[in-house]
Amino acid sequence: MTGNDKLTTKNRRSDRSSDRRIWLLIAAIALVATLFVPFSQFVLQVEYDYTLRTVALGGSLLGIVSGVLGCFAVLRRQSLLGDALSHAALPGVAIAFLLAGRDLGLLLIGAGVTSWLGVYFIRLVTGTTRIKQDAAMGIVLAAWFAAGIALLVYIQARPDASQAGLDTFIFGQAAAIVEGDVRLIAAVGAVAFIVLGLFWKEFKLITFDPEFAGANGFRVNLLSLLLSTLIVAAIVLGLQLAGVILMVGMLIASGIAARQWTNQLGQMVILSAVFGAFAGGVGAIVSAVDADVPTGPLIVVVAFLLVAVSLGFAPGRGLVWTLLRQRSDRRLFAAQTMLQDLYHYALDHGRADLPAPEPFLVGVRGATAREGLRQLQARGHAQRSNGAWMLTPAGIEAAARDDRNHLLWSVYRQYGDDLALPVVGEDRQQDIADVLPPAAVAKLEYKLDTIRNAAASSAQQQPQTGAVTDH
Amino acid sequence: MFFVEEVVIQLLLNFVAREELNAFLRDPQHTATIVGSLIAVSGALLGTFLLLRGMSLTSDAISHTVLLGIVVAFILMGSVFGQHPDLSSVWLIVGAAAAGVATVLLTELIYRSGLVKQDAALGLAFPLLFAIAVILVSRVVSDVHLDEDAVMVGEIGVAWANTNSHCLSGCESVTITPDDPRAELTRQCTNCRDLGISPRDDKAEFTEICTNCGQYSPAQAWQAGFTEQEPALVFWPKSITVMAVMTLLTLLAIVLFYKELKLSTFDPTLAAALGFRPTLLHYGLMVLVSLVAVGAFDAVGSILVVAFFIIPPAAAYLLTDRLPRMLVYSSLIGAAGAYTGYDLARGNLLGIANLSDILAGLNDLFGLGLSESWDSSISASMVLMTFFFFLVAWTFSPKYGLVSTMLRRRNQRRSFDHQVVLGHIHHHQGSASASEELAASTLYRHFRWTPAKMQRTLRQLRARNLVQIEANLVSLTERGETHAHQFRETQLTNESVGE
Amino acid sequence: MSVRSGKAPHDDWAAALEIDDLTVAYNSRPAIWDIDLRVPEGVLMAVIGPNGAGKSTLIKAALKLIPRAAGTVRFYGQPYEQVRGLVGYVPQRGSVDWDFPTTALDVVSMGLYGRLGWIRRPGQGDRESAMHALQQVGMQDFADRQISQLSGGQQQRTFLARALVQDARIYLMDEPFAAVDAVTERAIITILRELRARGKTVVVVHHDLQTAPEYFDWVTLLNVEIVASGPIAATFTPDNLRQTYGGRVAYLHEGQRIAGLEDE
Repeated sequence: MTGNDKLTTKNRRSDRSSDRRIWLLIAAIALVATLFVPFSQFVLQVEYDYTLRTVALGGSLLGIVSGVLGCFAVLRRQSLLGDALSHAALPGVAIAFLLAGRDLGLLLIGAGVTSWLGVYFIRLVTGTTRIKQDAAMGIVLAAWFAAGIALLVYIQARPDASQAGLDTFIFGQAAAIVEGDVRLIAAVGAVAFIVLGLFWKEFKLITFDPEFAGANGFRVNLLSLLLSTLIVAAIVLGLQLAGVILMVGMLIASGIAARQWTNQLGQMVILSAVFGAFAGGVGAIVSAVDADVPTGPLIVVVAFLLVAVSLGFAPGRGLVWTLLRQRSDRRLFAAQTMLQDLYHYALDHGRADLPAPEPFLVGVRGATAREGLRQLQARGHAQRSNGAWMLTPAGIEAAARDDRNHLLWSVYRQYGDDLALPVVGEDRQQDIADVLPPAAVAKLEYKLDTIRNAAASSAQQQPQTGAVTDH
Repeated sequence: MFFVEEVVIQLLLNFVAREELNAFLRDPQHTATIVGSLIAVSGALLGTFLLLRGMSLTSDAISHTVLLGIVVAFILMGSVFGQHPDLSSVWLIVGAAAAGVATVLLTELIYRSGLVKQDAALGLAFPLLFAIAVILVSRVVSDVHLDEDAVMVGEIGVAWANTNSHCLSGCESVTITPDDPRAELTRQCTNCRDLGISPRDDKAEFTEICTNCGQYSPAQAWQAGFTEQEPALVFWPKSITVMAVMTLLTLLAIVLFYKELKLSTFDPTLAAALGFRPTLLHYGLMVLVSLVAVGAFDAVGSILVVAFFIIPPAAAYLLTDRLPRMLVYSSLIGAAGAYTGYDLARGNLLGIANLSDILAGLNDLFGLGLSESWDSSISASMVLMTFFFFLVAWTFSPKYGLVSTMLRRRNQRRSFDHQVVLGHIHHHQGSASASEELAASTLYRHFRWTPAKMQRTLRQLRARNLVQIEANLVSLTERGETHAHQFRETQLTNESVGE
Repeated sequence: MSVRSGKAPHDDWAAALEIDDLTVAYNSRPAIWDIDLRVPEGVLMAVIGPNGAGKSTLIKAALKLIPRAAGTVRFYGQPYEQVRGLVGYVPQRGSVDWDFPTTALDVVSMGLYGRLGWIRRPGQGDRESAMHALQQVGMQDFADRQISQLSGGQQQRTFLARALVQDARIYLMDEPFAAVDAVTERAIITILRELRARGKTVVVVHHDLQTAPEYFDWVTLLNVEIVASGPIAATFTPDNLRQTYGGRVAYLHEGQRIAGLEDE
């Protein structure tokens, strides 16, 4: 059981180190964000007046809201639904403007209503026809957006159209955000987070395993509707900043980036909020440098940079990490293979420290041989002399241990049941003593010796009987 | 391209007079409808394959990122050749096609990392490329053709005005040199401004300049009075040529590779095993989608074009089960959408209703004070009409429509209910629990049906002479017995052996 | 989790699961047809039948995860809604996204959500019972592993632990033996026998005819309709199997010999 305890503590430790990693990462982002302020002041010549502070605050808040809820869109594989729904919000904005003028709250309610009709339409089409989800989303995206454009063009013919600024909803414009908007974002975001906190357990369950949730008596449809509503709210809030076309990027990018750093939903959501705040804030500030550049694209570019860094460098999961691990695996296996090759070659020819000619080793194993021998030499397990390789005493010991471990594993596989040993997964890379309790290992060793003795005595008898028949 | 237009014009002039042709093309509606229909047909043909491959949203991604290809090509052309190309330039088209393929590659790259799901990969890739394009547009390009409105809605309404002029006769172009007797020469002071003196001053130096020298196209030459005969010109909208070429390319590709496309859509593994290179076909399809998207960019913008790829094939999918018909139907639906969409932009919905009247009605009812003249985006209206036809197909399709499905379901449910009851009686008839299981008054409980439903079903079954009720005990008639048997033979055993 | 004492209409023996006249249809084609089934308390029952016979459908319909066309299902004489806490469910492993960001321990504690009800969060005690369930399936070392880093068999054991933590009286399991390694298969069968020893009832969708007689003591042969149901010795006969599987029964003889059925 010592082996088990050891493993458990190792796991626990790695878990805690991943917790620490998250906090380090958050601290690093906070640092970059703090450094960004003087950078933007002196290099980009941004002036931190009241307007910009409002805009930056609004951008960060929106980043938080969409980052948190975007996690669920990503995990439910509804990333592109986010795209369809943000396009579907446009006619709602236009109709609300036609009916009530430019009041942000009402515009957003209008946007939410038509987005919702979009969700309903997608469900209806996929439920009653053989049209698949993706095509149904495409239909909503295109048709609702066309309706929005038709209405916007109609509105633009009005005398008060120019001040309406409705086209900011298409690409997003940070400058359009005023203090009242920030309050609205904060209020809606707070409500969304309270709901999310209350139903955290339920949302997690229906996202992971809706069938099991249903079997446990949770109202899966209702919960799923509620969660979709929250996502629609995040989309609708973000429209003014990111615009309908690029909202999907703002919604999902920070969640995807966060997913790379952690394996726990809670941490993923927190990290995604931090990423979102960073992308939203930085994007909004940079876009204030030049009024011609809409905000949405900048936020998306910043968010994508975060994604790229995360995909590349996230510990354990990132591409760079994977490449490194593959290389070290290759080295490890090469070393192990060559250790065994040298050992058996030498034993077959008499004694364990007999040198094996290098051309022979390379001829059999190719590149693996060169790599493996280099590794063995570095570890002091083998040395080269006169174009041949021989094991050092340390190497012989390691090879014998490894060999015996392999043999014990195969004895375990063959006789584990008969000896009533505990059932564990077979893994020859692990020392069997780390996996099985000492008593079990002792049984295996005894069995191995019995088999060996039997084999040896029958090998002794074999030539004799052969000799007899020969005569 | 110019040559192709020439050939087509010569061909057309066999049937119509030049003036008629010009008048026809100068009508915004005609050009818009032709361009719109061409976009719709090529989009519908390609979209059919996309829909069947479950890749509809890839067209959404590509149509967005085509903008990046256009912008980059535009900037490169500007810095390399010192001039900005026309939107129908071959280089822009190449750039756009490259951007389309780049989108697909980027998506697959992200997805292949194994860290991101497929939908999320697409959702990451195209906003990024589109975002870069928009930033470039706003920072670098100040040309009117690439402003944000053009990205959104296109300019199909003024497509008629952007023309190549083709001269048929009297095509004398004139070059006036200073030696020409028609040249108008005048003297100009070369140093007056520098010295701040008047031309009458003694120190003034003069040079002779020509005010009307240069090249005159036939039309200009005639207007300037250099030529005797008025040239016969045809003004041919460039968009028609561009989209016609794209449509022909699409048609050609689909006709040539019909078999391969069909197979690789249905069963990519088999296609690969037979050596048809499904990956190559995949990228070929993506290139075609990019080409159509860039061709349509000028007319309908970057986003609405996706409607022409997705909506007509979806409607056709509800109308037929066969690929050739689906291709034809979706083309027709797309073209019909484009044709009727022009009228909708002016407020006329299929001649049935007028939006201006509806707006007036709304104003009367609610006092909204809306502007009562509906005049809106042509491209968006074309999409809306296409969507309208989708709704019609969805509702009334004989096979998959809502109405027919509802009717069929009702019939099926009724006959299924009959079978359930027959099966139950058959099962329990003559068994020990028969009196409990088959009591007519409580039979409904075993099915969790309402008593009314059970009564209705039993009535129908008795009417069909399949069951009888004696002393509150339901039993099968002889006919009912055969019926239940037959059902078991066909429905139940087939199902298990078939799989 | 009090069970309201209700009277069961058929009281020959106490039925853990009682299904009457259950029919489920997809698009008006019957997936299962007029099923009458009684599972006595304390048995380890396999549901066996060919592909498309409606085995999973039967379980899902019993749990009301899919709509029924007709029929009733009772657990311990009660409709499912009133005795949810007594019923544990192990879905097919392929039904969820294993890349979901969560740990094995967390998945197991999801088994407690139903008992916790709405809004309440699992506490320390709940985590401990989840850990205990993981221990039972030999997975305690993997508690903090991300679930995608588990092997297929370990994922299946995690699912099993999630059902164990529910501490139900009857367990419905959908193909727990599908595509698992030998270690997992042995671990699962050990758990199943333990459950039976503690008087629990277990219903398992199973597809391996070879192992069925060894693992189970009760069997239901299903092919859209019930072919036979009862103690395995009396029910798992060549005749019944032929009826269930049709003409494809030839290869079964091998399995029956191994299972020692020809002695009977």
